[in-house]
Amino acid sequence: MEHHSASVGVLVVGVGFIAEQHTAAIHADPRARLVGIVDLDAGRAAAAARANGGVPWSTDLAEALARPEVDAVVVCTPNHTHAPIAVAVAEAGRHLLIEKPLATDVAGARRIAAAFADAGRVLMPAHTHRCYDYARAVKEGLGDLGRPEFLRLAILGGWIWPDWRAWVLDPARSGGHALHNGVHLLDLVTWWTGDRPETVYARGRKQTAAELDIYDYLEMTVGFAGGATALCEMSRGHRPATYAARDVLVVGEHGVLTLPWDAEASIVTDESGTGLLPPAGANGFAVQLGAWLDAIGGAEPLMTPGDGVLAVAMGVAAERSIATGEPVRVDDVLTEAGV
Amino acid sequence: MTRVLLAGFGGLGGGQDHQRAMYLPAFQAHPGFTVVGAVGADDLGVPSYPDLATALADDPAEVVSVCLPPDQRATAIVTALRAGRHVLADKPLALTAEEAAAAAAAAAESGTVCMPAHHQRFAPAVRSARAAVAAGRVGLPWNVQADFLVAGGDPCPLGELTNLGLYPIDVVAALVGQPVRRVHARASGDVTLLLLDHDRGLTSTISVGRISGTADLRPGGLAVHRYRISGSNGVMNVDATKPGATLRTSTGVRSAWTGPDTVALMLTELHAAITGGRPAEVGPADALAAIRVVEAARRSLEAGRPVPLSPDSQEGRQ
Repeated sequence: MEHHSASVGVLVVGVGFIAEQHTAAIHADPRARLVGIVDLDAGRAAAAARANGGVPWSTDLAEALARPEVDAVVVCTPNHTHAPIAVAVAEAGRHLLIEKPLATDVAGARRIAAAFADAGRVLMPAHTHRCYDYARAVKEGLGDLGRPEFLRLAILGGWIWPDWRAWVLDPARSGGHALHNGVHLLDLVTWWTGDRPETVYARGRKQTAAELDIYDYLEMTVGFAGGATALCEMSRGHRPATYAARDVLVVGEHGVLTLPWDAEASIVTDESGTGLLPPAGANGFAVQLGAWLDAIGGAEPLMTPGDGVLAVAMGVAAERSIATGEPVRVDDVLTEAGV
Repeated sequence: MTRVLLAGFGGLGGGQDHQRAMYLPAFQAHPGFTVVGAVGADDLGVPSYPDLATALADDPAEVVSVCLPPDQRATAIVTALRAGRHVLADKPLALTAEEAAAAAAAAAESGTVCMPAHHQRFAPAVRSARAAVAAGRVGLPWNVQADFLVAGGDPCPLGELTNLGLYPIDVVAALVGQPVRRVHARASGDVTLLLLDHDRGLTSTISVGRISGTADLRPGGLAVHRYRISGSNGVMNVDATKPGATLRTSTGVRSAWTGPDTVALMLTELHAAITGGRPAEVGPADALAAIRVVEAARRSLEAGRPVPLSPDSQEGRQ
């Protein structure tokens, strides 16, 4: 990846809902520069290219990957496309930051991880919550609590995806809600505990509409090898639709950490009622991009390919547990997918 | 004045004596009750009796406050009820569902009040939440998340699932009123997690346990006691450690409860039920329901998987 510029040339693939967060982070970091946009939808690709200073755009991934100024790639396409796209990036010898989940099944996630191991390039799954202020504060606070025993992490909202055509609502494309959003929480509690997840017991609910094919409310209970239990709730099914709340509770051998829904935000009461005004702290996407660029530069990666594979396995275990009503062993999910 | 006989001064092992620590002072402070006798204590300035049968024969008390050790408790409750007395029963009212069912049957026959001391459901924030849920404030409830974490104090030899578990199980039952059908439990360190499936697809999850003491609380104080009720039309976040003022001085931090405590509020309901000739807001059926959940949780902990509640012989009666 010899290049005249000192900065990393980044290609963004897939300019849907989340891409703007990544392009803003790229623009804000002097170590990176946006060098192109790829999207299957030519109109959308062109519009995103124009909005980002007229960078080159394409609907052809292979053509874009062949351009010499592309050092690295951010992929934010629908989840079921991750495996083929990521493997193509590895084979082109580029580094990759890829939206979660790494893939919609363990076999796909493993295929990606293996391709990057072979290519000797950096692969980072975008478990962005590790980069949020609250998650870093909890990670730091855990040092005072000793061995963690019980953790609660709830991310609750009433915002459902736009309408029935949203790919996230289609489990064939998103992998289901445990894969799409659940992996954020499953990865975070695993990172917080630093322990190996053994079992997942999950309960799901189709709260917004009985006709949903995904569970807009998920409750996933993770049992860790060291004995700790983590209860993760991920909701898009709460009411009112404007509801947004996060809650963290950690019980450790030396005490308890609480970060309740009203601990961080200001509370605003106006003509439409009472709501939260989140603090303007660090930008998680910028922190994440920085961690990725650090890893490309040779630093220890904040999120590894193994973290991505494990999170996918936990998500698959959660979906299966909802279907069977029984706890599912993470090892069973990993084993049956082959090594 | 309603006359009270204090029967027994034991608890779940160790130094636990809720009679002396909680009920006696609350009865003394309540304007509607007067303590007239005791079984098992002769230092209270009231007539002392060697056993419950003697006391029931001689003593004019309308209410028996039963705090005998758990292995004698259910029998004593049935005896007092059959003697036509009202009963306040320390929790757990019984150690097994079978015993609790016997107490419930005796109460149904006697027509007197039998109140298990599930006093946490009388916490002011819980009482108002219960009324608001019942009034439809959040629509049809579909999930409850609860934390009941006591900081420090003496561990219970029978385990905190038996000792503390009944409280949040009972509060959840009071909040949503849907029977539990299936239980999954997982123990981790000091905390037990209960994942309950109720009727109507409602789910609830309770963390309960005795965690490390914390510098800001007296030993045995509630570090976290809260309920989140999610419904079809809204969410209610209930912090049952409210209402409280916070006092911060150069020597420390403490909370000051702003109203009557939960035991006082429970006795007010006991008195109202007795004088009104009606069942109390919490009765032996509630004790039985909570004990059955604890029993199922124990089976789930052993099995490592969810278990159905045991078949309910009381089903037709509740």
